[in-house]
Amino acid sequence: MERSKYPLYFSFPAVIVFLLFFITPTIIGIYYSFTDWNINADAIKFIGLENYKELFNEPRLKQAFINTLIFAAAVTLLQNAVGLALALLLNEKLKLRNLLRMIFFMPYVIAPLVIGYIFRAIYHPEHGIVNQFFGLLGMDFMVQDWLNDPRFALFTVIMTDIWRVAGFSMVVYLAGLQFIPKDLTESASIDGANYWTRFKHVVFPLLAPAFTVNVLLAMIGSMKVFEIVMVLTEGGPGYTTEVFYTYIRNTFSSGEMGYATAINMLLFVLVTLVGIPVLLAMKKREVEM
Amino acid sequence: MRKMKAVYLTMALMLGAFSLAACGSSNGSTNTPEGTATAGSSAEASAQPSAKPVTLTFLIPNTEDVTPYNLIFKEFEAKTGNKVEVQALPGGDYDNMLKTRFSTGDFPDVFLMQPGTKQYVKLRADETLYEWSGEAGVWDNVIDTIVDFQKDTAGKAYGVPFGKTGMMGVFYNKDVFEKAGVAAPTNYANLIEIAKKLKGDGVTPFYEGVKDGWPTQVFYLTGWVSQVDQEIGDEGVQKLNVNQLKLSDIAALKDLFVKSKEIKDLGLFQKNTLSGTFDELQNELGEGKVAMAFMLDGILPQLEKKFGKDFVTNKIGFFPFPTATDTGTAMITPPNQLMVPSKAKNLEAAKELVKFMISKESVNIFYQSQPGIPVFKDATSELYPMQQTVKDYIDQGKSKVNVQNRLTASFLDLGKILQNFHITGDVDTAIKEMDANYVKDGNSKRLEGFE
Repeated sequence: MERSKYPLYFSFPAVIVFLLFFITPTIIGIYYSFTDWNINADAIKFIGLENYKELFNEPRLKQAFINTLIFAAAVTLLQNAVGLALALLLNEKLKLRNLLRMIFFMPYVIAPLVIGYIFRAIYHPEHGIVNQFFGLLGMDFMVQDWLNDPRFALFTVIMTDIWRVAGFSMVVYLAGLQFIPKDLTESASIDGANYWTRFKHVVFPLLAPAFTVNVLLAMIGSMKVFEIVMVLTEGGPGYTTEVFYTYIRNTFSSGEMGYATAINMLLFVLVTLVGIPVLLAMKKREVEM
Repeated sequence: MRKMKAVYLTMALMLGAFSLAACGSSNGSTNTPEGTATAGSSAEASAQPSAKPVTLTFLIPNTEDVTPYNLIFKEFEAKTGNKVEVQALPGGDYDNMLKTRFSTGDFPDVFLMQPGTKQYVKLRADETLYEWSGEAGVWDNVIDTIVDFQKDTAGKAYGVPFGKTGMMGVFYNKDVFEKAGVAAPTNYANLIEIAKKLKGDGVTPFYEGVKDGWPTQVFYLTGWVSQVDQEIGDEGVQKLNVNQLKLSDIAALKDLFVKSKEIKDLGLFQKNTLSGTFDELQNELGEGKVAMAFMLDGILPQLEKKFGKDFVTNKIGFFPFPTATDTGTAMITPPNQLMVPSKAKNLEAAKELVKFMISKESVNIFYQSQPGIPVFKDATSELYPMQQTVKDYIDQGKSKVNVQNRLTASFLDLGKILQNFHITGDVDTAIKEMDANYVKDGNSKRLEGFE
């Protein structure tokens, strides 16, 4: 069957918008990362690699770098695990299937800021329901200051974000599951394959495109995390939950625009360096039907 | 079809006309010569009703009590017909939000700012703010030292002082002290003895709001005037101002970190310092669960709201950060300042408002609502006992302005550094970071000696 082709100029509006609002600011940003742009300075001077040299000597950025990677790895992994589990569960013929799908997806449409404020109340050391719940069960050893204890703060933020985004992964996996022809799983059943074998040999390989989308989006999104950390902990206590964007916000606030842009560029490089190999690896295992 | 085109055209023209009309009369705030007072007019003259009333926007951080301002604005509205819309912005982000509004040209008419000429640098005052130095009807009633404090090195003032002389130090619950049979300390060692005694009696000696960050700074700032100023003197502060002295080279400052760590190690702070907040501090101090807090006088209106005026008057005491040998130096803070952007929509009316706010009647309304040590010559204010304590220190020449108000560069992110210090307890790292951030801020502000 011959595919219908559209004229190239149909893409011009989108290309122009993309060039204007995405590519141009990025190029301008790259330039400014090599300048001493500062709100207190009268002029902007080109200073070469000075900003980059400075940021590699910044211990707080090192901490932010480590926290960002931990956050991204944990969220990507758990978001996908939970999302897949929910998708498999809600792909079955359950009575309240649609309602449950909606409930699990709902956190994703709520603004992270709102979620942050709600969870601040939930994690409150004395009045929060988490500690009250453990207290009622007599599990006093679990009663903790979840957001202000350096041992738990990052873990707590990670868990909150997973609760927020797992529903999105679920939806993508559900979409992927809908595309798997029923006759494949049915014939596997007839051949005597149990649920786990069917999942391992039929469902899982065919879900590869959904995995690619989910893993990439989760990874990029979690490396750019900001709002949820800002509202829950402001990067604290100390620097225990400091991530790239909370640090960038801090430098922007103090008027160091050029330096802050350089950190942004570093994050851009980091996301690219991590994203491309992951994309290639995941694309490789995708199966054409 | 032609008819429809004509209809669309007419509608489009009408819409255009409406929008132009809306632009022309937007907010009704355009000043007319008739509607404004002259620059040199006095507060009394400014009280004349404007021909065409305008609505002025007044920005204030939400950490400030708005009550006295609203009372003054009510009077202003009654006398001039001009309205004042108060916009209370989040205190923590106040400066940033203000700077953002400045950079986008969304200027308020008048705004409240923290004291100190460092704010002039921050806001690029010579380009953005109205200059008040030569303005008639502004300076006559302001106490001379406060007038001097308001001027930069070129003798220019971009802010008009408003409010009261503030203070920082140790606020304590008198009942708790009485029950334990202790009194205000005579020196630092005595303070620690008192704290130990209180702990023995089952009371938390000190509360530290580490979660909020800013309350932790008070220990170091109050400690500075009693301890660091004695070591480096005014010359040392001047050297810091031009980056000829390193914070990490000041032994007395390092000793403050050591002292804070000692208090923590002795278990004299509340249990969960890392989750400590300013709000909880007020509750615990008010309820007598906590005996003392290194704090600023902003706590007084909050305590008054929660526990009443009598409680604040009779049950809250104050003493400065004691030194090794005596009761120490009282740390005072100059009043906030009123600023007017030179590009304010209603510049003349904004100036009128500022002059009205510093008129005798208005400042007395302010002090009635927020009693404090006045900065205006003919103002009357009933002082809380703890404010009288500070006034006595001032009268004895044992007071000093907060070092943050004497420096142009800031102790950047000090709250965060101290949060981290509470976790790690590493004195050297904390002071090194404080020093690095101070230099960074000076450099960022392009100050002489820092570049």
